[in-house]
Amino acid sequence: MNTNELLAAGPVAGAHGQHIGIGLIVLAILVLGSLGYGAVRLNNRRRLNRQVTRPEPPMPMQEPPRPRQEAPSPGPQPPSAGQEPPSPAPAPARRAPVSSQHPNGWAVETHGLNKRFGATVAVDGVELLVPRGSAFGYLGPNGAGKTTLIRTLLGLTRADGGTMSLLGTPVPAERSRALARVGAIVDEPRFHPHLTGRDNLRLLAAARGGDADQRIAPSLARVGLTERAGDKVAAYSMGMRQRLGVAACLLADPELLILDEPMNGLDPAGMHEMRAMIASLAAEGRTVVLSSHLLDEVQRTCDAVAIVDHGRVIRQGSIDELIRGAGAAVVQIDCDEPARAAQLIDEAGIAAGTALTGAGLTVTLPAGASRELVADINRRLVVAGIDVYGLREVQASLEDWFLSVTSRLGEPS
Amino acid sequence: MTTTEPSLSEAGSAPRPGRRSTPAIGAWLPTWDLITTKNLEIRKRRGLVITVAVLIVAPTVLIYGLRLLFHAVDPHGYGLAGSPAIFSQLSNLMAEFGFIAAAALGAAAGTTDLTDGVFRHLVITGRSRLALYLARIPAGLAILVPLVALAFAMNCLVTSYESPPPPTSVALYGLNVPEHLDQAGLQTWLLQHPQQAENGLPVGPATNLAQVRSAIDQNIASFYSNYIADEISGSNPADNEMAKIGLWVELEVGIGFLVGLGLGSLTGQRTTTTIVLIALEIIVTPILARVQIPYFIDGQRLVVGIAMDQLRPAALAPATSGPGGGGPGHVLFGGRGALGIPPMPTWAMISVIVGWIVGWSGIGAWRMMTRDA
Repeated sequence: MNTNELLAAGPVAGAHGQHIGIGLIVLAILVLGSLGYGAVRLNNRRRLNRQVTRPEPPMPMQEPPRPRQEAPSPGPQPPSAGQEPPSPAPAPARRAPVSSQHPNGWAVETHGLNKRFGATVAVDGVELLVPRGSAFGYLGPNGAGKTTLIRTLLGLTRADGGTMSLLGTPVPAERSRALARVGAIVDEPRFHPHLTGRDNLRLLAAARGGDADQRIAPSLARVGLTERAGDKVAAYSMGMRQRLGVAACLLADPELLILDEPMNGLDPAGMHEMRAMIASLAAEGRTVVLSSHLLDEVQRTCDAVAIVDHGRVIRQGSIDELIRGAGAAVVQIDCDEPARAAQLIDEAGIAAGTALTGAGLTVTLPAGASRELVADINRRLVVAGIDVYGLREVQASLEDWFLSVTSRLGEPS
Repeated sequence: MTTTEPSLSEAGSAPRPGRRSTPAIGAWLPTWDLITTKNLEIRKRRGLVITVAVLIVAPTVLIYGLRLLFHAVDPHGYGLAGSPAIFSQLSNLMAEFGFIAAAALGAAAGTTDLTDGVFRHLVITGRSRLALYLARIPAGLAILVPLVALAFAMNCLVTSYESPPPPTSVALYGLNVPEHLDQAGLQTWLLQHPQQAENGLPVGPATNLAQVRSAIDQNIASFYSNYIADEISGSNPADNEMAKIGLWVELEVGIGFLVGLGLGSLTGQRTTTTIVLIALEIIVTPILARVQIPYFIDGQRLVVGIAMDQLRPAALAPATSGPGGGGPGHVLFGGRGALGIPPMPTWAMISVIVGWIVGWSGIGAWRMMTRDA
């Protein structure tokens, strides 16, 4: 197409006779447009980066992080066919006893779940039982298959085998019905950067349907984003995006929240806020499944955990029971001859291991050891002429136990 | 910090299963809210929407703006802004640019949920993936159709009110032939004016009037084809013809969007999709439309641009329609096409167009339903 012809009302050109000219014009417009658009985007990004420096609104504190409370182990074995599932863990005192109101007490239930990526087995026969109303940690080293299991549960990817249900509803057979009561953050929460936080929630609320759109404002208020809801997400910090992700979860008024690494990318203050948010959601009786490799976070937030490694759930139950059951308790001994004491204990074969530390001698007790063993160690040392100034039983942390049962130490449990 | 926290649950406590009805979010039909919010998402991509608007509307505004200005400044040097030729050229340009703009918009609509990482959020809502895909179609067309309508309306208005009066005769090979003749009427008129016909028409080496008349009888179909073409090119299209042209341009743009959407959903690559469709529109289709590849004519006809060329209304392609032109567009739109290859049957043309629309939509929807989020 020749512009001069158009301006001079020349003869009619054919549809394809001038395609090369049209092509050049189109390409020129696209190139110029792209350059202009890129410049605008760059400018906007700089401007938005400046906006990010605006102080974030504080997240309303629903409740301080609650101390971890003991919950009975759901047991690693699934209920047999035709048998009522074992009653789920009683909810902590500050929670509504939601689970007891349901004939099926499992928020998440999987049996023999498998997922492969070529030759790699990402999820290997996973048997997982998450009690309703619990705060459940799903722990594992990086690459253990945590996110893949969550993606499979949520229908983001297809399972190769096994069965699963969410809130008693089988998935993927009744996936839509199950997910209507589920909120989830998988990986980092990402949104349309060119839309505001509120518009992003509108988009998701429209997909949710029902009265989800009426929960936009309460959800934003709940996560403390009301004041910034009109800003484009491109201007949000990681912490704000995580909070917006939680707000997106709340659109469903969920009974089950699945949060995959919600602390990722957060600074200490953001982690504190997120921890409080999770605690408050769990305190309302919602089931919270928290996938993380931050053991301290899980220990402070959750009642029960499942440990996954190489795609398999290798332990699950309440945190206290698991740690005790693993026999990971250690005794710190303050004595005048720690080296000889260690040799003596090793030769007696009464401990799982000994280690000399700056504070003296650390003795790891074998699984299921009683307190009498501590007295026995003390007696042997005194009889051998070693002056013992003190023995202190130290409860192992979740991290100690986690490292002892996963392959991270090179000794798979 | 203590704030009064709005309750998310009716009772302000734990959500209780079964106490609220589960919306039918597994249904495959998109809801109105889903469509409007998707439209919002596309519309808020300012750079893209501005580019699309420029490609569709700007040529018409620019050309007519300048022509109106020139005519206002120097009425003697520059004629009226509108003319059948300008109308035809701008309509063709609108279809070309519109296809490209629509393809770019479709590619964006088909990929941005993926690239922005929102697709998994949408899937987690439990909403049918098919509904999520189908919502994009009206959401995108709601942006494109009004833009095309706006540009085309400007084209029609200027052509109708700022064009020179239509000629009273048709210039056929230099002969001034009366307007509105059918083939028999043209034949009669030419036979009644053999001397003029001998001087003007390409009747070969005729030595007497009988031979001229014989040549007229033998070639009347070709003469009539050119007569129609010249008549159309010299007159503004009638209102119903304009409406047909508008629909054809909208169809071209709609196809561009649907193919872009389907291909974008298939590849997940916005840039690649856009480049492929631009290449299809401005390189592949023109070549296949003009060059006959032996034993591959039917393959050439499978290209949607070829089928759309045949469907092109007559007023848009009169001057270039050679002997091979004049496809089934005659039947539907009075079109003649601008093809350099023999036309295909009407059913084949319709099948190709519908096949591209349904096929690419199906492929895009299938990929969206099976893709890992």
